[in-house]
Amino acid sequence: MVELILFYAFAALIIFSAVLLVTARNVFHGALYLASTLFGVAAIFALSGSFFLAGIQVLIYIGAVVVLLIFVINLTRQIAGSSAAQVNEAVVPALITSLLTITLIVLAVLKTDWATRIGKSVAQTEAMDNTAVIGTQLLTNFAIPFEVVSVLLLAALIGAIAIVSRDKEAGK
Amino acid sequence: MGILSMAGIAAALLPFLAFLAIVTFTKKYRNVSALVSISATGLSFLTACYILYSQITAPQQSSFNIPWMYIAGIEMNMGVLVNQLTSIMLFIVTFVSLLVQIYSTGYMHDDEGYSKFFAFLSLFTFSMLGIVISNNLLQIYVFWELVGLSSYLLIGFWYFKPEASDAAKKAFVVNRVGDFGFLLGILIVSFRAGTFDFMKVIDFAKSGAIDPNTLTVIALLLFCGAVGKSAQFPLHVWLPDAMEGPTPVSALIHAATMVAAGVFMVARLYGIFSLSPAAMNVIAYIGGFTAIFAASIALVQDDIKRILAYSTLSQLGYMILALGAGGFTAGMFHLTTHAFFKALLFLGAGSVIHSMGTNDIWRMGGLHKKMPITSITMLIATLAISGIWPFSGFWSKDEIFLALHNSGHTVLYYTAVVTAFMTSFYMFRLYIVTFMGKQGEHAGHAHESPLSMTVPLMILAVFSIFSGLVGMPGQPFNISNFIYFGEMEKPAGLNMTIAYISTAVALSGIALAFIIYFFKLVRAESLKKVSGPVYTLLKNKYYVDEIYLFFIRNVFFAITAVIKWFDRNIVDGLVNLTGWLVRQGGAQLRRTATGSVQTYALMIFGGMVVAMIAFAIYNPGLLTLFGGR
Amino acid sequence: MITLAHYVILSAILFGIGIFGVLTRRNAIGILMSIELLFNAVNINMVAFSRFLTPDGAYGELFTIFIITVAAAESILGLAIILAIYRNRKVLNADEMNLMKW
Repeated sequence: MVELILFYAFAALIIFSAVLLVTARNVFHGALYLASTLFGVAAIFALSGSFFLAGIQVLIYIGAVVVLLIFVINLTRQIAGSSAAQVNEAVVPALITSLLTITLIVLAVLKTDWATRIGKSVAQTEAMDNTAVIGTQLLTNFAIPFEVVSVLLLAALIGAIAIVSRDKEAGK
Repeated sequence: MGILSMAGIAAALLPFLAFLAIVTFTKKYRNVSALVSISATGLSFLTACYILYSQITAPQQSSFNIPWMYIAGIEMNMGVLVNQLTSIMLFIVTFVSLLVQIYSTGYMHDDEGYSKFFAFLSLFTFSMLGIVISNNLLQIYVFWELVGLSSYLLIGFWYFKPEASDAAKKAFVVNRVGDFGFLLGILIVSFRAGTFDFMKVIDFAKSGAIDPNTLTVIALLLFCGAVGKSAQFPLHVWLPDAMEGPTPVSALIHAATMVAAGVFMVARLYGIFSLSPAAMNVIAYIGGFTAIFAASIALVQDDIKRILAYSTLSQLGYMILALGAGGFTAGMFHLTTHAFFKALLFLGAGSVIHSMGTNDIWRMGGLHKKMPITSITMLIATLAISGIWPFSGFWSKDEIFLALHNSGHTVLYYTAVVTAFMTSFYMFRLYIVTFMGKQGEHAGHAHESPLSMTVPLMILAVFSIFSGLVGMPGQPFNISNFIYFGEMEKPAGLNMTIAYISTAVALSGIALAFIIYFFKLVRAESLKKVSGPVYTLLKNKYYVDEIYLFFIRNVFFAITAVIKWFDRNIVDGLVNLTGWLVRQGGAQLRRTATGSVQTYALMIFGGMVVAMIAFAIYNPGLLTLFGGR
Repeated sequence: MITLAHYVILSAILFGIGIFGVLTRRNAIGILMSIELLFNAVNINMVAFSRFLTPDGAYGELFTIFIITVAAAESILGLAIILAIYRNRKVLNADEMNLMKW
C-alpha cells in the first residue's frame, strides 16, 4: 500500500519533470529538470528492489551526464541569452505522434492478461535487494560484456577528445 | 519435299545469292558482277526449263511447307507450290531476265553503276520468282513488296535525275495504295479461313463458309493488289513515268514480269475470284476500260518508250479483261506471248535509243537501213502485238476474243475489238515513223547495236513468232491442256468469224497507219487540228495526274492537317506530360530532404506509429478496447 | 499493489514525452536531453520486467547497467560533436544545421 503511494508520487515527479524538460525555454533549466527526472527514475528503481541500480543511476546519470551537459551548455551559451521559442514548428505532428505512441502502448498493456502471461503470482513484490545477484552475474556470466563495455567507454573517451580538440595553430 | 519443289526453291534462291555476292564482294569488279548475275539467272533458267519439262510430261502439283508461326488461331507457314501455272511463270521470268541481263552488258556498258545494276536485277529476279513459287498469301505479300522495292531501286537507278527519283517514289506510293487493299483482302480471308495457304483458303471459300457479299468484298480487295501492280485504271499513273528508268529495266519489269504479277495473282487465286460473279464483272470492266483508255492515249504520244508503256497498259488490260470474263487460259496465254514480244519491243527501243541518243520518234526515221537487225526484230514484234496471223499475238488475242464472245460480254468484246484496231494503228505508227521513210536529223551517227544487244533481240523474235503455236488447235500439245482452271477442257476449235474479224480489224489499223504516216495521203497535222480538244485530252493523258494532284493537295492534305494537329498536340503532349509529371513529382519529393535531422526523426517515429496502428488493426482483439473494456 | 502494468505504462508515458522532445526541441542539447529520457523509459521497462519475470537472474538490471554505460558514452560523443559544430558555425539550433538540405 505504501509502495503504491510512493510509486504514484515518484511517477508524478518523473512525468512532471519530463514535461517541463521538453518545454523549457531556458536550456539550463532543462538540464535541471532532467536531473530531477533522473532522480525520480532512481527512486523507481529503488522501489523495485534494485538498490544498486538506483545508486548507479544517481552516480552516473545525474553525477556525470547532467554535469557534462551543464558544462557544455555553458560552453555554448549564446551571449544574447535565451533566444526565441525553444520549440520548432513541428509541434503538432510531434504531439500527435507521441500521443499515439503512448495510447497504443497503454492499450496493449491494458489488454494483456498479465496473470497468465507471467505465470508467477504478482504477489511477489517484496522489494528484495539483488545487488549480490548483479555482482555475481557481472563477474561470472556477464564478464565479457562487462569488459567490452569498458573498452567502449575508453573508445568513446578517445573519440570525444579527438573531436573536440583544437588544432594547434588554429586560434579561437 | 518433291524434287520439283526443291528445284523451284533453287531457281528462286540463285539470283538472291548472286545479289548477296555482288553486294558483298564484287561491287568493284564490273565484269565479275555481270558474270555472277548472268550465270545465276542462267542456272535458274535451266532449272525452270527442267521444271517446265517435268510439268509438261507429267503434270503434278508439288508443294512444300514449313510451319513458321501459329498466332491467334491462324497458321503462318513458309512454303512453295509448283504446278503448271508456276512452271510457266518460272520459265518466262528467268528467260526474260536472262536475256535482259545479257542485253544490259551492252546497253549499260558505260554506266558507272554497272555492278549495282546487276545486283538490283538479281534482287528483282529473286523477288519475282518468290512471288511465283509462294504457296501462301502472307509469303506472296512479302515478295510482292520486295518486288515493289526492286522496282523502286531500278526505276530510280539514275537517282541524280530528279525525274527518275520522282518516278520511283510515285511508283512505290501508287503501288502502296493497291497493296493496302490487297493486304485487307488477305487478312479478311485468312482470318476467316484460319490459314494463309492458297489451296486451303480456296477450298474454304468454295465450301461456302463465306457469304457471297463478303466473298465479293474479299475478291475486290485482293484485286486491288493487281490494280496497283499491273497498273490498271485508276492506279495506272506510275507506269508511264517509270520509263525514266533504264530501258532494260522497262523491258524486264514493266513489260514482261512485274506487271504480270498482278495477272498471275488473279490466276493463282482464281478459285476465290470465280466464286463471285460481281467481282469478276468488275475485274473484266476495269481491264477492258484500261485497255481502251491506254490505247487511246498511245495514239498521240511522241516518246517511243511512252508509247510502249501505254501499250503495255493496254495489253495488261486485255489480260485482266480475259481473266474477268472467265478466260483463264486466254489470260495466261496472252501474258506469255506478251512477255516475249513486249520485252522485244522495249529492248529494240533501247537499241534505238542507245544509238540515237533520243527518245523522240519524230527525230528518227529511216533507221531500217542503219539498224537492220533491230528493225526486223521490231517489225516481228509489232506484227505480233497487232495480232497478225501466224505470229504469237494472233493466237493469244484470238483466245481472248473467243472467251469474251463465249461468255456473253458483248460490250467488252466490241471494246476489245476497237482496242485491237487502235493497237495495230499506233504500233505501226511507231514503226513507220522510226524505221521507215526519210532519215531524221540524227540518223547520221546511228549504228547497229553490238551483239550483246542484238542476240537477245533475235532470240525473242523467234519466240514472238512461234510461241503462239501452242494455242493452235489440232496439235499434240495445246496450252488449254496445260493451263486451265477447273477441269481441262477440250481445246476450242478456231471460230472463223472471230478470227476474221480480228484480222480485218488489225489489217485496217495497219492500213490507216500507212496511209497517214507513210504515204502521207492524209496529213497528221490536219487530223490534229480537226480533232482539236480530243487531241489535247489524249495528249495530256486525260489529265488524270493533274486530277490526282489536285485531290491530294486540297482534300487529302486538309484531312491530314487534322491528324497532324492531333499528333503534335495530343500524342506528343501526352509524352511531354509524362515527362513534366515526373519532373514535378521529383521536385515535390525533393522537399522531404530538408536537411533537418528532426524531420527525419519525425518520419521515423511516424513510421513506427503507423506500423503499430497497422499491427493493431490486424490484431482485432486490441480494437475491442475502443468499445469499452 | 504495484503490478507490471503500472511500470510499463509509466515507461510508455515517459517514452512518449521523450519522443515529443526529440522532435520538437530546437536546441541541439535539448534534443540530447530528450534522448536521455528515452533511455530512462527503456530502463524502467527493463527493470520492471526483470523483477517480475526473472528475479533470480536479474538479467534486466544487468542490461540496464549496460544501457546506462552506453548512454553515457553516447552522450559524451554527442556533446563533443555539438561542441565541434558550435565552434565551426556558431549554430546551436537543430533547424539551422541543414547542410544536407536539397
